[in-house]
This record gives sequence, structure tokens and C-alpha cells, in this order.
Amino acid sequence: MSIIDKLLNIDQRIIFFLMFIALAFPILNPVILPMAVQDYSRKAFEFSDSIPEGSIVLFEGGLGAATYPQGGPGMVAQIYHMLTKGVKIVFFSIGTEQNVWTMKAIETALDKLPAGTPAENGVNWVHWGYIAGGESGVGSLVNDIRATVSADYFGTPIDDIPLLESVNDASAFSAVLWWGGSEGSMPYGIRQISVPFNIPITGMCTTNEVPNFSPYISAGQLQGLFGGVRGSAEYEYLLHLPGPALGQAMATNFGGLLWMVLVILGNVMYFIQRTRGEA
Amino acid sequence: MSERLYKIQLPIFLTALFGILMILEHFFQMPSVVAGFNVTMRSFVTIVSAAALMLGIIFLTIAHVRTISEKKSEWYYSIFYIVSLLITAGLGMVGVRNESFLWIYNNMTSPIGAALYSLTAFYITSAAYRVFRARNWSASILLVCGFIVLMMLIPIGAIIFPPVVPIGEWLRSFPSSAGFRGMIMGTSLGVMGLGVRVFTGRQKEHLGIREERAGGE
Repeated sequence: MSIIDKLLNIDQRIIFFLMFIALAFPILNPVILPMAVQDYSRKAFEFSDSIPEGSIVLFEGGLGAATYPQGGPGMVAQIYHMLTKGVKIVFFSIGTEQNVWTMKAIETALDKLPAGTPAENGVNWVHWGYIAGGESGVGSLVNDIRATVSADYFGTPIDDIPLLESVNDASAFSAVLWWGGSEGSMPYGIRQISVPFNIPITGMCTTNEVPNFSPYISAGQLQGLFGGVRGSAEYEYLLHLPGPALGQAMATNFGGLLWMVLVILGNVMYFIQRTRGEA
Repeated sequence: MSERLYKIQLPIFLTALFGILMILEHFFQMPSVVAGFNVTMRSFVTIVSAAALMLGIIFLTIAHVRTISEKKSEWYYSIFYIVSLLITAGLGMVGVRNESFLWIYNNMTSPIGAALYSLTAFYITSAAYRVFRARNWSASILLVCGFIVLMMLIPIGAIIFPPVVPIGEWLRSFPSSAGFRGMIMGTSLGVMGLGVRVFTGRQKEHLGIREERAGGE
């Protein structure tokens, strides 16, 4: 067996080890390098920044255990951004697990807020928790909130929540922020809320799902999009609120470069084999 | 005949009636009676979905209990399921704000979920090294586009090779977007067609009826 054959059939554990080093080293020794902000992220940030003070926004928290590490820091940044601007937030999740992660993001953002920022539960924000039924559940919720939700995440009846006094359907919201993670649920928000109620929508998805939603951005139905950990890092960068996503995004530098080096190496060896008539 | 009426024809009629009412409400201003009826129907969906979740847990648990009692292959994994379910559900019933319940989320679910998701990076890299080859023109185009988009996505990519950003964004906004738009439109048309078939009773799988079709219909 030639050296090329040996290299092409290298034990995958060696590749795993190299990838582990490439990802772990920058996380353990973070060096923040300059970063270009993607067009979709900038649009999403500028849209969020333009939401007027005193508005109420609807926030779908769709991150789960698998996707929270990449989207969670961005979600925290978005909550921080809205509350420091004086925008009120109504949270809900269409996943049983996701509503717990949304609460975790809310608590993390509340801990980061500058002293004196109004962030009282029931006044500046409210979390409805899990809404069952997927897209139909979203449709039910936004057409008649009181017919769908009777109490919030903490069990407080929604008629006792000051923020919801005049909120009966989606027309009370100025914007929808859909942090869908890998749910693939962003079209629910577009179809059930944004289009029928004429409310602008933006949000976040995992990196691999960004192409799925690019048609909605070019059609103007989605105002912008934060994609994966890079999107989270860009939100932290644009908000001047350094957090864990910036360090993680730097790790993707090394992981991505290793991937490219390995693929180039694989192709070079493949061409050598082909020239020799071995492939 | 009467069995066919309540098992097949009535469900098809009800499906068509409720479906058409929902569609009409989407496009037209409906009388308050119909709008109110639709709100109730949508509330039913959320209730039924929540009940279905419970049903799913019950059936999954029955399946695992059966696996243990019959000592099927790798039955011991089913014990993990039962124990995890009992602990998590028990603590959750005490309260979802319960510290022990949240401990499970923060210290078990989170790292396990993140680790499982991140494993894809390792397997994709290993697989790409072995099979992502420029074997022909179409594979070469795919390889070049993949490189450009990855370079655009990694934060340092734009610093190493600045043109990668406009080229990558063009690829994402035009060819990729056009492909996905076609897919979305195709899926939507398919859903519309399926809706018409369900409403007219030509598609009965949602009633648990699988019909053999002659002539490839």
C-alpha cells in the first residue's frame, strides 16, 4: 500500500482528534480576531434596533439543548437589546423543551442588564411557556390569545398580567422575533403572523438552515436573519456586548480551515492517484 | 353501508368542512360566528396536540416495558429510559421551576444535546476528506461553491480572501435562493393538491385507510 493509499485511508480517529484540537484550542485560549458582519445579520440587527421604545414584540424561543450553545448567546443579546431599548417582550415556545431554554436565556439576559433597566416580569416581559399544536397552535394563539393561553410560564393567569391588558391578538405586536434554531418553524411565523397581520419578522436559525430561509429575505418577508453561532457572535459584536459566542465563532475559524485543508489534501492525493491510473 | 358512512364519509365531510372554513377565513372577512367557530377549532388543535404528546409517552413507555419483560436485545437500555422518565417527569410535576428539575436541564440535557449536535462536525469532516472529490465537472462546481460559502461563513474567511464575501452572498442570495424558492413553491403546490384530494375523499390515509391503487394512480 502506497503512502497516498495510507493517507487516504487514515484512521478517522486521527481526523476526530485534529478537529478536537482545532475547536478546543481557541475556546480554551480565546483570541478575538477581526470579523466581517454578514449582510443578513446586519439587516436583522438594524431592524431590531429600529423597533420603537414602548412597543411590544412577540418572541418565539425555539432553541433546545442541541442548538442553545450556538443560538443562546444571540438570543440573550436580543433580549438584552430589546429591554435596554424599552421594548416589551412576550415570549412563547412551540416546543416542550424549548420553553425551558427560553427561560434560561431570559434569566441570563436579566443578569446582564445595567442597573436600573426596567425588566419586571409581567410589566416589561412575560413568558407564556409551551404552546402545543405546531403551526396550528401558532395560528390559534395569534388570532385569540385568551382562547389559547390561560396562564403564563409561572402559572399567573394572563388576565392578572399588566403587560397583556390590551393584548388580545397579534395586532398588538410591533414585530416578531423568531429564534427558531433548527425547528424549521420560521415559515409558521411568516404565514400565521407576519403576512395576515402585516407585522415584520426577523429571527435566527442554525447555520445549515440559512439557505432555506434566504428566499424569504430576498422576497422581503423576512427582515434579516442571524445564522448559527456566527450570527450570535455578530449580534454580540454589533451590540458591543462581548459574550461566549465570539469565542465560539473564533473556534469555527480553525475548524473550518482544518476542513478545507483536509478536503484539498484529499483531492490532491486523488488527482495523483488518477494521474497514475490508480483511482 | 352505515359503517362506511360514519367511518369514511363523515370524517371526509368534516375534514373538508373545517379545512374549507379555515381557508376561507384566511382570504375573506368571515361572519363572527364562523370566525369564532374557527378559533374554537384551533384551540381544539392545541389541546389534541398536547394530549397526543401524552399518548406518545404512554405508548413509548409500554414498548420499553415490553422490551424489558421479554428481555429483547439490548433491553437494559430500556431501563435507562424508564428511570430517566420517572425522575424527570416526577421532578417536573413538583414544578418546572424546581431546582432539581433545572439541574437536569443545565447539567445533563444541555451538554448531552450539544455534544450530540457537535459530533456532526467530526463526522462531516471525516466524510468530506474521504469522498468530497472533484471527480467530474458537476462535483468540481459543488466543491468550489462549498469552499466559497464555507470561507464566507468562517469569521476569518473575509480577512484571508475578501472577495469571498460578495461571491458567497451572491451564491446564497441568487442560485441557492432560487433553488429553495422552487422547492418551496413545489412543496406548496403539492400541499394544495393533497388538500384537494383529502377534501374530495381521494386520499384517505389520514383516516388510517391505505388503499391499493390500480394503474399507478
